[in-house]
Amino acid sequence: MNTRSAPDSLRRRPRAATAPVALRAALVGCALLAGALANIGAAAAEIKLLPPEEAFRYAARAVDARTLEARFTIADGYYLYRDKLRFGVEPAAVTAAAPALPPGKLKDDEFFGRVETYREQVVVRIPVENAAPGQTVTLRADSQGCADAGVCYPPMSQRIELVVPAAGSAAGPLIEAVPAKKRWFR
Amino acid sequence: MSAASPSRRWLLVAAAVVALLLGAWVARSLLQGGANRDASTLLAVSLPDAEGVQQSLGQWRGKLLVVNFWATWCAPCREEMPMFVAAQKAHGAKGLQFVGVAVDEVPKVRQFAAEIGLNYPSLIGGFGALELSKALGNSLMALPFTIVVGRDGQVMHTQLGPLRKEQLEQMIEAGL
Repeated sequence: MNTRSAPDSLRRRPRAATAPVALRAALVGCALLAGALANIGAAAAEIKLLPPEEAFRYAARAVDARTLEARFTIADGYYLYRDKLRFGVEPAAVTAAAPALPPGKLKDDEFFGRVETYREQVVVRIPVENAAPGQTVTLRADSQGCADAGVCYPPMSQRIELVVPAAGSAAGPLIEAVPAKKRWFR
Repeated sequence: MSAASPSRRWLLVAAAVVALLLGAWVARSLLQGGANRDASTLLAVSLPDAEGVQQSLGQWRGKLLVVNFWATWCAPCREEMPMFVAAQKAHGAKGLQFVGVAVDEVPKVRQFAAEIGLNYPSLIGGFGALELSKALGNSLMALPFTIVVGRDGQVMHTQLGPLRKEQLEQMIEAGL
C-alpha cells in the first residue's frame, strides 16, 4: 500500500472505504463458496428427494352425490403401495363403501411377498351414501410410498374437503391437497 | 469515470452481498447435512429394545457407532441390513457397533430380526423416532436414515438412503 497517498485519497473521496469493505465481503463469500464447492463430490452423493406431498400429489372431486373421486399423481421415480391405500369419509353420517382399487404393477418383496404398486397416476372412485347435495364432506386418503432412489416415506394421511354437487349438475372441481407451487430452484 | 464510479461501486456491493449470501447458504446447508458435529443429542437418547428394556445410546460411547433408522415397511432398509449384520460380525470385536432404531412395531421387528439373524440391538422407536431423526438432520423423515458416530463422539456421517458397501468399508477403516 502506498501510505503517502492514502490520506490524500481518503480526504478527497471519503466514501472510498465502501469498495474495500465490499471487496472483502465478496472475498469472504467467494471463499465460503469455494470451500463449499470443494465438498461438492460428497454433497452430490446425497439423493435429491421430493417432500412426500409433492412426490405423491393427492387431489379429489365430488363426481355426484353418490361418488367421490380420489386421484394421486405420482412423480417420476416414485411409487405408492396399493395395499397401503385407504380412504375414509367424514362426517360419519355419510357412509363410504370399499372402493375398487385398480390393479397395480406387481413387485416381488422378500419380506411381504408379491406387492402391487402404482406409478404415474391412480384414480379411485369411492361410492358414498347419505351425502346431501350442497353438503361439505371430507375425503381422507392414507397412503405410503417410496422413491426408486432407495428411500421410503412414512404413511401419510391427507384430507380434502369437497362440496357434493346438486342432482343433475356437473361434477365438482378437482381440488388439490397441496396446490402446486411455482418453483424456481429444484 | 467519475460518473460511472458510484454505479460500479453499487454493482460491486451487490455482487459482494450475493456472493456472501450464496457462500454462507451453501456452506450452511453442507454443514447441516455433514460431519464434525457433536453427537451428544443422539447419545442422550434412550429407547426400549424388543424385550421392553430401556437402552441408552450413550452406553456405546467410545465405539464406532452406526445408528440406523429403519422399518419393515421400508424395502430399501431391509435390503441393506444383511450388510450391517456381516459388518457387525466382522468388526464388532474391534469396536464397531450397529444399533437399529425401528420405526415399527415389536412383532414385526422380531420377525424380521429372526429372518435375517440380526446380531445387533434394534430399539423400538415407533413413529416418534421419525421426529427424532428429523432433529438429527432427516428433514424429509424418510427411511433408511443412518448416522455414524466416531469413537470421539463426533458425527462422522449422516445419510438418507442406503449406504453403499464401499462407503461403509471406508468409514470402518477410518473410524476403527
